[in-house]
This record gives sequence, C-alpha cells and structure tokens, in this order.
Amino acid sequence: MTIVRIRSLSALAVSALLALTGCGSGGGSASGDPVRLLVFGAPEELGAYRTLAEAYQQARTGERIQLIEASDRKDLLARLATSVAGGAPPDLFLMNYRFYGQFAAKGVVEPLDERIAASSVLDPADYYPVAMEAFRWGGAQLCLPQNVSSLAVYYNRTLFTRYGVPEPTAGWTWNDLVSTATLMTRDDRGLVIKGTEAEGAARLPAVHGLGVEPSIIRLAPLVWSNGGEIVDDPDRPTRLTLDSPAAREALRNLIDLRQAYGVVPSDAEVEAEDDESRFLNGRLAMLMTSRRATTNFRTITGFEWDVAPLPVYRQPVGVLHSDAYCMTRGSRNKDAAWRFMEYAMGEEGQRIIAATGRTVPSHMGVSRSPAFLDPDQPPRNSQVFLDAIPTVRALPTVSTWPEIEDLSYGILENAVHRGDKIDDVIRELDVKSRPMFARGENG
Amino acid sequence: MSAGDAAPGRRAARPDTRARRQLALMLTPYLIGLVGLVMVPALVTLGMSVTDYDLLRPPTWAGLDNFAALLDDPIFRVALLNSVVFALVAVPLRVLLALGLALLLHRRAAGVGTARTAALLPTAVPEIAYGLLWLWLFNPLYGPINQLLRVGGENGLTAFGRTPPQWLTDPTSARAGIILMSLFTMGETFVVLLAARRALPRDVYEMAAIEDATGWDVFRRITLPLLAPVLALLAVRDAVASLHFTFVPAFVVTDGGPPPYATTYLSLFVYQTGFEYLRYGYAAAATLVMMLLTVAAVLVQWRLIRRYRRFYQL
Amino acid sequence: MSEGLVLDGVSAAYRDATVLHEVDLTVARGELLVVLGPSGAGKSTVLRVVAGLEPVTAGRVRIADRDVTDERPGRRNVSMVFQSYALFPHLTVVENIAFGLEVRDTPRRVARERARAAAETVGCAGLLDRRPGQLSGGERQRVALARALVREPDVFLLDEPLSNLDLALRAEMRTELRALHDRLGATMVHVTHDQTEALVLADRIAVLRDGRVEQVGTPDEIWRTPASSFVARFVGSPAMNLLPADGPLRPRGDAPTLGEEPLEIGFRPEAVTLDAAEGTPATVDRVEVIGEDAFAYLRLAAGHQVVARVPAARRPERDATVRLDVRWADTHLFHAATGRRYQL
Repeated sequence: MTIVRIRSLSALAVSALLALTGCGSGGGSASGDPVRLLVFGAPEELGAYRTLAEAYQQARTGERIQLIEASDRKDLLARLATSVAGGAPPDLFLMNYRFYGQFAAKGVVEPLDERIAASSVLDPADYYPVAMEAFRWGGAQLCLPQNVSSLAVYYNRTLFTRYGVPEPTAGWTWNDLVSTATLMTRDDRGLVIKGTEAEGAARLPAVHGLGVEPSIIRLAPLVWSNGGEIVDDPDRPTRLTLDSPAAREALRNLIDLRQAYGVVPSDAEVEAEDDESRFLNGRLAMLMTSRRATTNFRTITGFEWDVAPLPVYRQPVGVLHSDAYCMTRGSRNKDAAWRFMEYAMGEEGQRIIAATGRTVPSHMGVSRSPAFLDPDQPPRNSQVFLDAIPTVRALPTVSTWPEIEDLSYGILENAVHRGDKIDDVIRELDVKSRPMFARGENG
Repeated sequence: MSAGDAAPGRRAARPDTRARRQLALMLTPYLIGLVGLVMVPALVTLGMSVTDYDLLRPPTWAGLDNFAALLDDPIFRVALLNSVVFALVAVPLRVLLALGLALLLHRRAAGVGTARTAALLPTAVPEIAYGLLWLWLFNPLYGPINQLLRVGGENGLTAFGRTPPQWLTDPTSARAGIILMSLFTMGETFVVLLAARRALPRDVYEMAAIEDATGWDVFRRITLPLLAPVLALLAVRDAVASLHFTFVPAFVVTDGGPPPYATTYLSLFVYQTGFEYLRYGYAAAATLVMMLLTVAAVLVQWRLIRRYRRFYQL
Repeated sequence: MSEGLVLDGVSAAYRDATVLHEVDLTVARGELLVVLGPSGAGKSTVLRVVAGLEPVTAGRVRIADRDVTDERPGRRNVSMVFQSYALFPHLTVVENIAFGLEVRDTPRRVARERARAAAETVGCAGLLDRRPGQLSGGERQRVALARALVREPDVFLLDEPLSNLDLALRAEMRTELRALHDRLGATMVHVTHDQTEALVLADRIAVLRDGRVEQVGTPDEIWRTPASSFVARFVGSPAMNLLPADGPLRPRGDAPTLGEEPLEIGFRPEAVTLDAAEGTPATVDRVEVIGEDAFAYLRLAAGHQVVARVPAARRPERDATVRLDVRWADTHLFHAATGRRYQL
C-alpha cells in the first residue's frame, strides 16, 4: 500500500519534472492502439525506421506502428525510464546491448523465449549467435538483435589514390595503420605534415590521417587483439583491467596517435567539426567507426570511399555493435508488438533496414544477400563486416555500464588530447569505475 | 450577490469576510499550482532522497546513505563547486550588465526602443535554440567569435600572437563561455531595473543637476543607493535561478565537459544521475542540497528586505 | 537698481507645442516676484527655464548680470524648491541639506556645519538625523527650504512649495517665507496658482496666461487696475462680475464717455449694493453663507449672472427679487474683443 503510494507520487513528481525539462512521454495506451516503438538516431536512421513501419503497415492491413523518436541515446533512456515509472511504457524499444542491462536487471523487459518457441516465422538458428547471446539475461532471451555490426576502418579512396598511398588491406597491423595515417596527414599543399606541431606555430593539417573516438568501445577490440582484457570477468565484472601489459600497450598506442604522431584531429578540431563530418567533407583519410556511418556516407558524391577491417595486433578481434528490439513488460499490446517484431526480424524487415545501409543484418541469410552486399552501393567491401563476425566479442552488459562508458570517455579524451600520464589514466579509470561496477547488476 | 444585499450595520465584519473570500478565491489557482507543482514534488523529493529508487522497481529504504555517498562523491563535489563559482561570478556580472544597460537606455532617445528590444531578445529565444546558436558561435575553428579574434593574426593566432580561447575544450574557457552565454539572458533583470530606474523621481535628478553633481556623483550618491534594494533582490533571485539556468548550456553546449567535469553543474549532475543513470534516490538527495542552497539564498533575501525596511523606516 | 534675474523674450517649447511666448520679465535684486496663473499657463516652465532644466527656443536668460542662457543648470547658481520637495529618501536631513555643498567638494565638516546653520534658519534643526520618510509635510518643506538656502544662490526658485500643505500650515508657512525673504534679502521667484498667496507674499506679481505675461505689477496694482479681464477675474474670489457695458445693468453716478467699440464692465462682488431704491431687478438663484459673509448669486434679465457680497445677517432669500446697484467708481472697463483694459 505504502509502496504503491510512493510510486504514484514519484510518478507525479517525475511528470512535473518532465513538463519542466520539456521531454514528456507519450500518452496512455490500450489494446487496439498502435504499437508504439521508441527509437533514436540520426535523421537518416529515423527515416529507415519510418520506411520499415510503413512497409509493415502496407503488408499487414490493420496493423499500426507509431514511432516515438528520441533525440539521442540519453533521451531515449530517460523517456523509457520515466514512461515505465509512469505506467505507460512504449510497447517496443530499440536498444544497444551495452545499455539494456539496467532495464534487463530491473525486470522491465519481457522475456521472449516462449514466443520464439511458438513462432512459426522466427527461427533463432537463422541469426548470428554472438548477437543473440548479447541479449540473453539470466538465461532468458530478452531482446531480438536487428543487427550485428562491428568496428571497421572507412577510408577515402580518392585521397589514397591522389597521394599514392597503398590502401589498407585485411590483415594489416597497428603499425601499418600508424604509418598509413602518418602518410595521409597532409597540409593544404598536399605535403605530409606532422599534426603535433599544429598548436601555435606551423601550418594546420588540411587532411588528417585517422579519426577515432577515445572511448572504451574503440579501445576494447585493440586490447583484445593484443591479448589483453578490458574487465576482470566479462560475465561479472568488478573492475577495469587496463593495467595489464597488453592493455597498457594498446592504450599507449591509441594515445600516441594524437600525442606522438598527431594523425588524429586535436580536441579543438574535433569540436569544430566532428570526425564523421570531417570524413564527409574529404578532410579525413580514415575513420574508425561502425556500420552505422554507412547511411550517412552514401550521400557522398565528391569522392570514392571504401571500408577495411580493423588492424590487428596478434589475432583479429572485433567488437560487437548490436541493437535489438525489446518488448516492455508493461506493454498492453504485446501480441501486436510481437507480430511487428517477427516482421522486423524476418527476411523482409531485415532487407528493408539493410537497404538503408545502416546495419549489418543479424539474419544470416539476409546478410549474405544482395540486400547487404549490393555491389552497386558503396562500400564495395561490405564483406569486411561479415568476415569480422566470427571474431567479434561483446562488451559487458553490467547495469551500470552507461555510467562507466561516460566516465571512461572523459578520462580517455583527456588522455588523448591533453596527454595525461598513462599510469594516472589507468589508475583514475580503475579507482573511479570500481564503485560503479560494485553498484552494477549482471545477467 | 452585490453589496446592496447586505443589511448595513448588522454585521460589521461582513464586507471584510467577503473581501477575504474573494482574495482566497483569486489565490486558489496559485495555491493549487504551488501545492501540486512545488510542495508535493518537494516532499516527494525529500522522501525519495532517503531511498534507493530507479523508477523501475519499488524504492527501498536507504536512510542517510545517499547523503553520505554525496559527501564522498568527487563528481558531486565538483558540480557543487562549479555551481557556487558560477553564481559568484556570473550573478554580479549579469546584474551589473543589466544595470548598465538600464541606465543607458532608460531615457527616450532615437534608437533606444530598438536597443531595448535587442537587450531583451536573447532572453526570449528558446533555451535550446540559444544553446545551439552558441555552439556555433563557440566553434573553435569556424565559429565567428574566434574568427573575429583571429583577425590580424597569422596561423590561427590572434593579432597578439596568442591562441584564441578553446571554448569547448579548455576547462577555464568553457566555464567562461557558459558565463558569457548567461550574460546575454539577463533581459528580465534588465526590464526590472529599467522599470525601477524609470520609477525614480525625476525631480531628484533635476535637483542634482541644479547642484551641479557629476555623473559619477549622481550614480554613487543617488541612483545606486535608490536602486540598491532592487539590485540586492535581483542578485539573490538570480543566484537562485543560476542553479537552474546553467542546465541547458551545460547540457546542449558543453555536455558537462570538457572532461572530466569542467561545466558539470548541480542541475546537470541531478539530470544525469536521475534520468541517465536511473539513480533517482541519489539524484533526489542532490536536489535536496540544491533546495537547501535556495532556502539559504531566500533567507539572505528576507534579511535584506527587513534591513532595508528598517533603514528607510517604511 | 541692479538686476537679479532677467528673461528677455524667452520662448520655450515642450515637444512641438510652444509653452512660453517671448516672455519678458525682470526681477530686481532682493525682490520677491510671484508668478501667478492657472495650471497650464507655463508658470513652472518659467522656473525650469531659469534653472536651465528646459532649453529656451528663443531669447536670453540673465542671472545677476550674467548671461546664463547656454550654461548648464549647475553653473547658474540658483536653488530650487520643488513642489514635491525632491528630497533624497536615502539621506538624512543633514545629508540632504549638505548635498549641494558636498558634491561641490566643500569639506564634509564645513558642509555639515553650514547645513546645521541653514536648518536653524528655517527651524528644522531638531530633525537633522531623520530621514524624509519620517517627516511630516511641513517638516519636509522646511528641509527643502534649508537645502535651497544653504548655498547662498543668486536666485531662489520656488515651485508651488506650499501647495502640498494643509490650509493652516500653508498660511503659517506663507508668513514665514515672507519673513525669511525679508531677513535674507534674496532674489526669489515664487510660482503659485493661489492668488491669496501671491497677494500676501509678493513684492510684485507676474500673471501668466497661456505662456504669455498678462500683467506684471505690485499686488495693489494687480488688484486695483487689472490689465485685462483675465487678470481681473483670476485675482479675487469669487471672481469679478463681467457684463456687457450696454447690458442690463447701468452703474450709478457720472458715466464716462465711451467710444463706439463694445466694452464690458467689471465689478467685484463687494461693489454690489442690494436693495437700492432704483437698482436693476434680479432674482436670487442661491445664497452661500461663509461666516459673517454671504454671497448671493443673482440672475438679471437676459440670463446674466452677478455675484454680490452681503453681510450674512442681511442676506436675501432664495427666489426673492432684489434690486442691485453698482457705482461707476467701482467698475473696470475692458474691451469686449481682446479683454484688455479700456483706457479712459
């Protein structure tokens, strides 16, 4: 009784707060209403979901999908949490496995095993196991992954040709990456320039060799490839383990990209123009990012571009990027929601999303079909993403992982751009993240 | 019914009661708002601050654990310090700027209307749009501010051979940037001061003119003391408001950075802790600290008014 | 006679409306000139032009033989008492009085000493440490006066200083003001709309109407030989009766020789005699009794009204028919068209 009252009161407080902060959640829902799907993304990604929803409504008369578009990942989290607390959650939401832990741990997500077993449309064996596995929590399949993306290196072929530098190839090493990036960092006369001299005196690079975000998800595959680990126990992590020699070396090398070689843009340059825009504008030779960027890059008309696998230390390892459809336990429209999930996860739905270029389909058949590998659509070398799948690993799904990512991003950003001492960086990451791990819950 | 219905003299208290009833009626919407939007959420916050609550599961009793954890939380301490420093620097600057503009623009003259509108305009811009505008202005390479600073210099330096401020990547510049942003939204303070200045009796200034008081004398001996109570109230009000209006700039423009937490203010800390990390109990405890700061500021304000009234024997 | 203040053909405008039309005024040193007129006549503007608070659009202003037309207010060496007194609410009485000295860099101690002396002169020495908010209207008025005279200016300008006081206090302050003037021997210009105040205080009175000087003269001259029907009616209460010269009333006695043009005859209520044997008949409209006096409002043929002052004990009844009479010696003649006095 008391608990119920506290809950409703706090819901009231939260809705007051929401009214003030200007991010209200959707209204109530009853069966017969459209299935409400909460997503976020860049305009072209939202466009992809709209296409999917329209195609579904065309294919199945009587079904209706209502997209709720959040402005970014954090907005999506806030909307989801507050709408759950308010008792009117969306029926479905799309979320990365790195961030679904807090909702999984708190029983917000509806387990799908029974529905999967009963489905005549959906066969779990059709999907890449690594992605399915990332959304298992406490032995139950909570969400269905729509994609199985990973990190790759996008590069501007036209620039490589112009400067006569060999393009990256499968099996290239970290050293190859550094020397290629160094050769591709040029001033406005097209001469090789050292970007570290940028501050103050000499000329600024007109083209930078490489763009890479100083974040734990970029660092992780490099550490793994070098034989190190990110956390002490991937299933029940209690601390970051960047102090091992292998992890330390990978981190050192990442920092040196800016501090020793100056091949990545400085913090001011990143603030002025983020890496993705810089690549779009032809001022970045290579960009380390996931499949997501493809939709955006397909708007490029001024130059040719392609994609190469991640460089390798000892063995090739990738990092899983995967988003999944999750059903809320509080949904009042579960059957209709499930029907949409079946469609979105099925070949047709997967093809529609794949055609936007945004994802590497989690459906194995679709991923090998022209919908994904269409030779007429850049990048020509999309096979890189499929080749990486056997080697990809997932990051921990501990419920406090979003906090840990935010924390590590700040510290790593300072390390790369200010050149903080590496021992201090590793210690700070460890000390400050420990309480977050301690508060976390695992599936 | 009208006053004519009341039997005169039978109940002397009658008109008074009616006046009171009308007063109560007129206050009701405000009171409902006050209770529903301020008191109840404040009490809920108080309740939530002694629990562990993630919105998704029922809250559990945590006692004073949240407050103890706040004391040990380096991020919270930084946020608190950032908020206090912001108030100490930005509030006097905002009030001074508003005062300066009000004194410049209180007369009728050509262009004054336009200038007043210009002074007010940034306050009328929606906060998010205002933030995005500054994100462009602050762009370290392509933003107009640094383009302007680089005029006359070479190799991306200013005319004095210095690097222009790295608004979004250097902690001090970023804090200065947030303060700079906040300066232009003092429109409300400006309007109040403009009205206060225009309400000052004209003959007092004519008196001063006849006595050949200089502009500085007039400002120091007349304008400033006469506006002092208004200024003090505005400053306190602004200090309270500064706890809130740091939110959007930090959220939109700097995202609490540069790293680690250069522009993470209490408001952003509360938002992140609650809405992004779903630690509502902890966020409520931090909110309570914010409310205590507000209460302290209101007490100061109350004392100021009392002292002012005693001073002028009002 | 050296001049204290001269306005020489001064015009002034507020926005687009001219509020003073080529005003000529001379105030002798040590003289108390009262500027009298209805509201809107431009009385205050005269003061403000002298103080330099309003610019002139034409003409010159001289103070103590010095042309100050282009000087700023602070350089004219005038003091002003505002109608509202314009005391600084945040300063004590002594600070208020010493303000003008202190901003002129008089040492603080000297300034305070002189403020004290000025306060004694006007009888507010007991209030020095209070603030304006704690003072009564009369006390504020004294403080404003003290502030005006602490600095020994060339001209004192007083803008209706008594208008905010109650009747008894006004009469008392009127006397004190006159005594103060006599003691100081200062040049003063005093603005008022109260004709009694003007008659009691003034060495000379300047009557203003619509931004023009209607007449300048001693109170006696103003009363006995008003230069126009306007002055005649403005000074005196109730106002002077005005009738067409060829109207229903023929004054008694030897009639002067009059020209062809239409004239008006004016006579004060005191000049009217009722119950004359062969007067003009009139009906009593109403009667006002003020103590010993009564004012009878009479209606003549053709609707003309006349007021007569009679002893209260012998007042006529309402609606009674009376016969009224006036002597030629008590009448004034004015041109009907211009209102100017008809020169016999």
